[in-house]
Amino acid sequence: MATVKRIDGFAPIADYAAVGDGRTAALIALDGSIDWLCLPDLDSPSTFGALLDAEAGGRFELRPETPFESTRRYLPETNVLETTFSTAEGTVRVTDAMTLPTGGLSPYREVVRRVDGLSGEVPMRWRAEPRPAYGAAVGIERRAGAHLVTCGSNAVAVLSWDAGEPEVDDGTVGSSFVVQAGTPAQLVLAAAHQEPVVFPARDETADRLQATERFWHDWTGEREYDGPWRDAVLRSALALKLLVYAPSGAIAAAVTTSLPETVGGERNWDYRFSWPRDSSFALRALLGLGCSREAQAFFSWLMHASQLTHPDVRVLYRLNGRPEADERSLPLAGYRDSRPVRVGNGAAGQTQLDVYGELLDAATQVARSTGGLDRDEGGRLAKIADHVCRIWRKPDAGIWEARSDPAPFTQSKMMCAVALDRACSLADEGFLHGDVARWRGEAARIREFVETRCYSERKQSYTRSPDDDLLDAALLMGVIGRYDEPTAPRLVGTVDAVRRELANGPLVHRYASEDGLPGEEGAFLACSFWLAEAFACQGRLDEATELMDELVGLANDVGLYSEEIDPATGEFLGNFPQGLSHLALISAAVAIAEATA
Amino acid sequence: MIWGAIVGGLAGTFVLTTMLRAASELGWTRIDIPFLLGTALTTDRVRAKAVGYSLHFVFGLLFALGYWVIFVVVGESGVLLGALLGLLHGLFAASALVNVLLPVVHPRMGTGFDAAGSAPMLEPPGFLLLNYGRRTPLVTLAAHIVYGAIVGGFVSWAG
Repeated sequence: MATVKRIDGFAPIADYAAVGDGRTAALIALDGSIDWLCLPDLDSPSTFGALLDAEAGGRFELRPETPFESTRRYLPETNVLETTFSTAEGTVRVTDAMTLPTGGLSPYREVVRRVDGLSGEVPMRWRAEPRPAYGAAVGIERRAGAHLVTCGSNAVAVLSWDAGEPEVDDGTVGSSFVVQAGTPAQLVLAAAHQEPVVFPARDETADRLQATERFWHDWTGEREYDGPWRDAVLRSALALKLLVYAPSGAIAAAVTTSLPETVGGERNWDYRFSWPRDSSFALRALLGLGCSREAQAFFSWLMHASQLTHPDVRVLYRLNGRPEADERSLPLAGYRDSRPVRVGNGAAGQTQLDVYGELLDAATQVARSTGGLDRDEGGRLAKIADHVCRIWRKPDAGIWEARSDPAPFTQSKMMCAVALDRACSLADEGFLHGDVARWRGEAARIREFVETRCYSERKQSYTRSPDDDLLDAALLMGVIGRYDEPTAPRLVGTVDAVRRELANGPLVHRYASEDGLPGEEGAFLACSFWLAEAFACQGRLDEATELMDELVGLANDVGLYSEEIDPATGEFLGNFPQGLSHLALISAAVAIAEATA
Repeated sequence: MIWGAIVGGLAGTFVLTTMLRAASELGWTRIDIPFLLGTALTTDRVRAKAVGYSLHFVFGLLFALGYWVIFVVVGESGVLLGALLGLLHGLFAASALVNVLLPVVHPRMGTGFDAAGSAPMLEPPGFLLLNYGRRTPLVTLAAHIVYGAIVGGFVSWAG
């Protein structure tokens, strides 16, 4: 049992859980408030945005009127959230889900909130304050028994059953009611986009809620991991599935924008885009869990999205595959005064050379698992390999999207070598055709550059950039991406150096050097899982298992991770839930299982 | 001449549908006529849109034939007269056809008297379709004027 300790109206990031439907997702705090929901899609403007502005952002509260403690869980192997509130008057359970369409006429998007009394008579209250378009003040109309807010081609309706007589007050609709065992109440948020609102009927929403629970349960049942961290892996798979944008197959990096890497700081980014950089991890994780359909869809999306910029592969793409992602600031207060609140992402215009290694590694995984690539894909991948031969010497922004001037990064060069290695392998296996001799020769030249310029004898490690002595956790990708044999002495030394200099307990920082931005950030969870995976790849299973145990214990109460954790306080930082953290967890767990087998 | 009405009806409906869709993409309206028509027959969203588009083209043809009758009666046709008929058609559609008559025959269209009951309901359009956005009447009228002008133009051209 826990009480929510909001600071200036903001709940700790770790107090959130996510529900979603494959198009968008809502974040629900431990006190029952939906503080984040973008409609109709994950990258649309928010309708509930209290996460980024407690006053003006809008929220959908549902909680006891009297003091309470709460506990919660996902219904086993689902993305249906169950929050139990305990009060002096009794206990009540709220079940939240975004329902999936079941074939009949259902709302374009639907959030269902069912309230069941477990004991006693608990006074409850609900209050919906839709603020579409990132906090626009709008009026509420009553129409056909529902309360409706419209904004451009979007609309949301709030419907309630046995939850008091709703009253409208200054852009808010809500009511109070008493719930007791046997008289459940139900609230529904029905959203429309470019169409009239579909007002759902109570029994149909109840049916959809059940069907949604069944769907998630069945989907989880098809996953193939059965190792020691099964619950954490399955929860990560479910979290990842919430980030898969079903209409295109793209995988969003996170549900949110502008949750800060430093509270009160300016390291606030919009992660509601898909990063090709994550493709290799995504494919490994998805294929490792038996999600071949999702893996194939993501790869197809990736090839489709990158077609517009071929042979360049952009750092990120919109979920619908468009390349533009113009960055701008919103006039919102920001999570605990963390400003600016950004939408769009300026990193879209950067050059990141490592992405080619990730993409060709992903292609290799797909080709081997599905038995081939289509001719067009093979041709384009060959041209991308040629492109890598031309550009690998250029400076770039690196995997961490440094906003300082472009510079040469060792990990970028390593992944260019990986890209050419994979292209050669694909050609050797007959999946594509191209100038293999040129690719091999250029890969050898990249390796010569890395081995002579990017290794520190003093640190016994590869370095962040040529001719310096700085470390970077991204170098772990040299092990995971198979730049060389994982047990090569230089890679073993690099793993040791990263642990020695960048780790703080189980948590690993990305780097300890300048990145062009003021302020400091927390430890990066993906890097922490990468370290565990690197240990596994090098056969250091005891270290891998011990680290993994510690990291799995750092998830929030429902098994979710943000991007970073403050090692001093344990506070979650950055966007949430973070796809890369969950991908890295799955990848590490699968790698340890494979190394153990 | 009747062939002009048929071709004009098809072309006009195509342009009208495209205009409404473009307005929807621009965030000016939520009206979706194929969805409204199709959900009268099926609850399956995809099928509803397919059926709705077909019905919309059938109605577009029927209205074009109605225009043709008027052109024959008055002994004149052309873009301007067609546009005038389109304006009247649009006013009729916004004030009576979609707002009053469609909810009567549409099994899933809500009215101001309904509460959220046992069947899912579609949001009613309201007077001048204003429930679907403040610009909806203007967009609808403009689209129907263009439809009428196209029908009038084709009838006049066909001779």
